[in-house]
Amino acid sequence: MSVSHTAAFWLVATLAAYVLSRIANHYVRSWWTSPLLLTCVLCLGMTVVLHTGYREYMRGGQWLLMLLGPATVAFALPIYEQRALLRRHWPPLLVGVLFGCGLALGGSWLLSGLLQLPESMRLSVLPRSFTTPFAMAFAKDVGGAPDLAAVCVIITGVLGASLGGLLLQILPLRSALARGAMLGMGAHAAGVARAREIGDEEGAVAGLVMILAGVTCALIGPAISLIES
Amino acid sequence: MERKTHNYTGRLGVLFQTVVQTVVLIGVWWGCERLVQALDLPLPGGVVGMLLLIVLLGLHVLPVRWFARGAGGLLNNMLLFFVPAVMTLRDHPELLGVTGLKLLAVIFMGILSVMAGTALIVELHYRARCHHVR
Repeated sequence: MSVSHTAAFWLVATLAAYVLSRIANHYVRSWWTSPLLLTCVLCLGMTVVLHTGYREYMRGGQWLLMLLGPATVAFALPIYEQRALLRRHWPPLLVGVLFGCGLALGGSWLLSGLLQLPESMRLSVLPRSFTTPFAMAFAKDVGGAPDLAAVCVIITGVLGASLGGLLLQILPLRSALARGAMLGMGAHAAGVARAREIGDEEGAVAGLVMILAGVTCALIGPAISLIES
Repeated sequence: MERKTHNYTGRLGVLFQTVVQTVVLIGVWWGCERLVQALDLPLPGGVVGMLLLIVLLGLHVLPVRWFARGAGGLLNNMLLFFVPAVMTLRDHPELLGVTGLKLLAVIFMGILSVMAGTALIVELHYRARCHHVR
């Protein structure tokens, strides 16, 4: 058994790639040095070179993926600290979340139909705007593939965090509320990370919008599966 | 010289606090995950834990400083936790062809519409309210 087959190897390799990407991003600020994108490319490259499959990688990688749960719990703090902001602005945020969820689900369904994607893929791309745990549960509810849904979610995050930066320069957004809502709704956790770079208020709004969207998604999923059955 | 030593132990203390608080947050998540399974709730354990923690912080049952460093550490490095999920691509070679491009197009257009739509409706709502208040 070679070194590249042990769980610890891929855990350490991923951490090393992440640290390198953060350093690169510190010195060269550009879309392609986005830590998520760069770390993924580095890790994918390594698994290709070392002929490692997803299963073998996950022996080490699952420990990192697992930390998404505690990270969700950690959102309690920024939300609690921004409670005054949320008490003041809940109507536009609620409108934004409901409208955003409608656009996300409707848009994905129409576009994937237009491009004639296979049915299982259409159902898996549907929850791509929601954060991973919700999206995977949703895909399962409506009859899609949870792992494919996770990939769509990640691509949305990576692309969305970059596109969000571009849109911020184009759209005339005066309020931190709109900037945060845009990133949280459009690029979930990657968008929240981006929003936290812009400001504390944006970060908190994005985190809250992401969670509200996720909860909305958790309510719609079982409803759709009820209608289908 | 003395000051330097002090700074060093200070940093070590912060690191220690961050690690301990992160472990506590992992514990909260784990407990909620078990709870969700036992009660057969449709919500992920992390979300239940988050809602519970907000309530407990709001009622001043738990102080913010018990969690602040751990939460900051987890949230600042959240991108790292997504990396393993992307590795699923290794099991989906069909996504490297035309299907993948189509999927990418769907996602690309989808992001633009969701982001622009959400941002504009929140901004309009916000401006209308500001106007109303004045």
